[in-house]
Amino acid sequence: MKRTFLGEFEEVVLLTVAILGEEAYGVTVTQELEQKTGRSVGFSTVHTTLQRMEEKGLLSSKMGGATAERGGRRKRFFTVTAFGRKALTEVKQVREELWNALPPQTLQLMGG
Amino acid sequence: MMTERRNPTSESASPPRWVTKLLTWLADPRTLEEVHGDLLEMYGYWLQTGGKRKANRRYMLSVFKLLRPFARRTRSTDDSKIHLFSRDMIQNYFKIALRNLVKSKTFSGINVLGLALGMACSLLIMLWIKDELSIDAFHANKQQLYRIYMREYFSGKVQGVVWTPGPLAAELKKSVPEIEMTTPYEWVSSETFSLGDKIHKQQTNAASADFFKMFTYKLLQGTPAAALKDPNSLAISRSMAENFFGSPEAAIGKAIRFNNRKDLMVTAVFENIGQNSTLKFDCLRNWEGFVEDNDWAKDWGTTDPLTFFMIRNDADPAKVEAKIKHLLDKYNRDQGKPFKTQLAMQPFHEYYLNSNIKDAHMDGGRIEYVRLFSLVAVFILLIACINFMNLATARSAKRAKEVGVRKVVGAMRSMLVGQFMGEAILLTIFSIVLAVLMVALVIPSFNVLTEKQITLPLYQPSFWGILAGLLLVTGFVAGSYPAFFLSSLNPVRILKGAFKLDTKSTWLRQGLVVFQFGLSIILIVGMIIIYQQVDFVQHKNLGYDRENLIYFPLEGDLSKNYEVLHAELSQVPGVKQVSHMTSSPASNGSGTEGISWTGGDPNDKVRFTPVGVGYDFVKTMNLKLVDGRDFSKTFATDSTGFLINEAALKVTGYKNPIGKPLKWGNREGRIVGVLKDFHFQSLHSSIRPLIAYLGVKEHHGNAIIRIEAGKTVETLAAIEKICKKLNPTFPFTYSFTDQEYARQYQSEQVVSKLSNYFAFLAIFISCLGLFGLATFTAEQRTKEIGVRKVLGASVGGIVGLLSKDFLKLVAIAIVIASPLAWWLMNKWLQGFAYKIEIEWWMFGLAGLLSVLIAVATVSFQSIKAALMNPVKSLRSE
Repeated sequence: MKRTFLGEFEEVVLLTVAILGEEAYGVTVTQELEQKTGRSVGFSTVHTTLQRMEEKGLLSSKMGGATAERGGRRKRFFTVTAFGRKALTEVKQVREELWNALPPQTLQLMGG
Repeated sequence: MMTERRNPTSESASPPRWVTKLLTWLADPRTLEEVHGDLLEMYGYWLQTGGKRKANRRYMLSVFKLLRPFARRTRSTDDSKIHLFSRDMIQNYFKIALRNLVKSKTFSGINVLGLALGMACSLLIMLWIKDELSIDAFHANKQQLYRIYMREYFSGKVQGVVWTPGPLAAELKKSVPEIEMTTPYEWVSSETFSLGDKIHKQQTNAASADFFKMFTYKLLQGTPAAALKDPNSLAISRSMAENFFGSPEAAIGKAIRFNNRKDLMVTAVFENIGQNSTLKFDCLRNWEGFVEDNDWAKDWGTTDPLTFFMIRNDADPAKVEAKIKHLLDKYNRDQGKPFKTQLAMQPFHEYYLNSNIKDAHMDGGRIEYVRLFSLVAVFILLIACINFMNLATARSAKRAKEVGVRKVVGAMRSMLVGQFMGEAILLTIFSIVLAVLMVALVIPSFNVLTEKQITLPLYQPSFWGILAGLLLVTGFVAGSYPAFFLSSLNPVRILKGAFKLDTKSTWLRQGLVVFQFGLSIILIVGMIIIYQQVDFVQHKNLGYDRENLIYFPLEGDLSKNYEVLHAELSQVPGVKQVSHMTSSPASNGSGTEGISWTGGDPNDKVRFTPVGVGYDFVKTMNLKLVDGRDFSKTFATDSTGFLINEAALKVTGYKNPIGKPLKWGNREGRIVGVLKDFHFQSLHSSIRPLIAYLGVKEHHGNAIIRIEAGKTVETLAAIEKICKKLNPTFPFTYSFTDQEYARQYQSEQVVSKLSNYFAFLAIFISCLGLFGLATFTAEQRTKEIGVRKVLGASVGGIVGLLSKDFLKLVAIAIVIASPLAWWLMNKWLQGFAYKIEIEWWMFGLAGLLSVLIAVATVSFQSIKAALMNPVKSLRSE
């Protein structure tokens, strides 16, 4: 089986969507990312990533929740699909395998 | 998290407008909504965290990055489109339509009834037309079948004749290679057939051996090739076979006695001829056999039978026509005069609908009625549609609020048009069901009236096609204007309550009423004129007295023993005079051109109608003599004498006609008397020159008897007794001249009756509409009437006020429709050589009728409105 390749930014966005749960849409994801990572994240980048991951089937979306502050426009809420979750676990597993393969002395050198 | 965020409500807190515009134009339309919202939210966030400039910059940057100028809308986000034909909306349309129907029962009733009547009329007329067109369409070779008619040129005039010389059929076949088969076809006559003690009169005709090969009449026994092969062959119908022999099988090959004179052999039995055939006969004799009995049929100069022929499959009709044109030049038809008779042909399938000869062309006939009634069908349907349009627009005030609300919540014009069209079609569906029921109900009486056998062709897909077509056309015509009108209303004005019908729609409505009444008036005028003409024709003084004049054929022994018959009949108390003539007194269509006189132009060719008569002919017929005397036994020379009519006198140009010579073929004689013109043919044709000779050597044709009025029954019984005694092998059949005369105008009578019904229906439907409009107006003006009454208006004044508007419209309709009606009816009357004058009172009567009916219709409502208690109408508000 061909593994799904997740880019670093994709992985982070996907994780954020998973963290936010019901409340995940463009704005919250951007803000959450900024707060959690401390780096400035472009909204357009987040939006494009979300779109792309939906196309890949990692995310699914539905419209809902119009509020006055958005001029009555609805939000597109994203949720992680089963495929998305699988991709995340795989990435995590790969990371863990890699960490585990690290010799203990190197780990010590790194100050872990 | 989000609730903490500040709302970017103030003007300064909104992002640059042009950037937003750019976004809405060029961003991916599929995600525009959420992107737009998200960006707005982000802008607020950026504003909070970095200030206005930074927020603006970031906003701009994001927008630029999100522009997708080539993205196409694939996932529909336009909600109005989705909902146009959603189940809910369609359900809603139906619900509203039905509620509206039920809510205004009067108007729905008027609409449905009017449309149903209109459609029933149209449907009936369509069925009739379909039936008319289907006549003679069953012949398999119909594309190759033609009939001959002649064009006679003389003295610069041309005259068309359908009767052809007897030998023509055989000659055509011989000399034109493209012509495959030909047959003469005589006029049907009633002949006596007997077998044992069975004696029946049968409609008999004669045709050549090709007949059954050319025409598709189903043979139960025998083959088309052998059906009329020998001079004594006889093809009989199934019913004739059953009458004489019990069954078609038993009849074939048997002999049957013809006119108690000779035996004919049954060589074929054909299925009874249905209504869809122009040629009708009980039995057909072989043509050669017919010629043996009728010497004149060998003669080129006498014209009597019709001639039909069939061209080869690959032949070009135009070439055939060119070839036959001068065919007659070879034959000495005019005894030495220059020949000017040309032959022309008409496709056989056009024969039924186009049987009139105008000048020298086959033109008109029943096709005119087909056209007339098609027009009537369209008229009536249009009147019904106008009712619908009128009522719907008049009542638009009631629907206006609905339209307003629908528009406000986002209905587009196309949706409203669809809705109202749908309603019209729904109503039309109700009406068409009702219309089909009505047609099914009246079709038996319609068949009696028109002498047809029309059935509702429920099992033919074409019928359902016609119904569907009628439904769509009616629904569309009736529904289009209201739909476009209602959907064009401005919601703001409606909902403000400022809705008023503008003058344009009032004008249109009034125009429609005028149009509707105009059509009705045309139909009424038509009805009056047709009735008058038919009445005129039936009661016209024909120049002879057709009442109390009976005639019966001189056949079998009656012909031989005419003197005895004459003597015995004269003894009968009720009998005034007895004579005989070669034709029927009501109709004599025969013709000859072989008459010459001194000083006559040999190039001139005049068709005379010959008739052989007995002594006392003038007295029996009650004719007037202008000059000379009747044939008399006291003058022996009268056996070669002639009686002519005024028309003939004019042709010959004799100043003192008595004693002047006339020559008919080889028979030379002198004129003994001049008859005042009388009609011996139907009034469709003008009086032709008549030449009467004394036919006392052989008594052919009919005995004519003038009987006393009021003694018909006993006189007839006495006559029958004498005939039975003298002629036991023939059944006694007689005819009344007046009835036979009236029979010639059968189609006019049918048309007269039908036009009565249709005119009545048209005016009825128009009045339904008028009634609806009057009801509506009265309803709308309730308050005005109340105020008027309070201020002292009388009931009469109010009725006048309400009726005036409508009467004005009817008056305009009269003015417009009268010339049109005059033109149309004048055209119809052209078909008669003797016709009534169209007079002004006919239009006056039609106008008065429509005014009266309109007044009666409108006043019902206006009186009701005028009598209403003003307290009631003014109480509310």
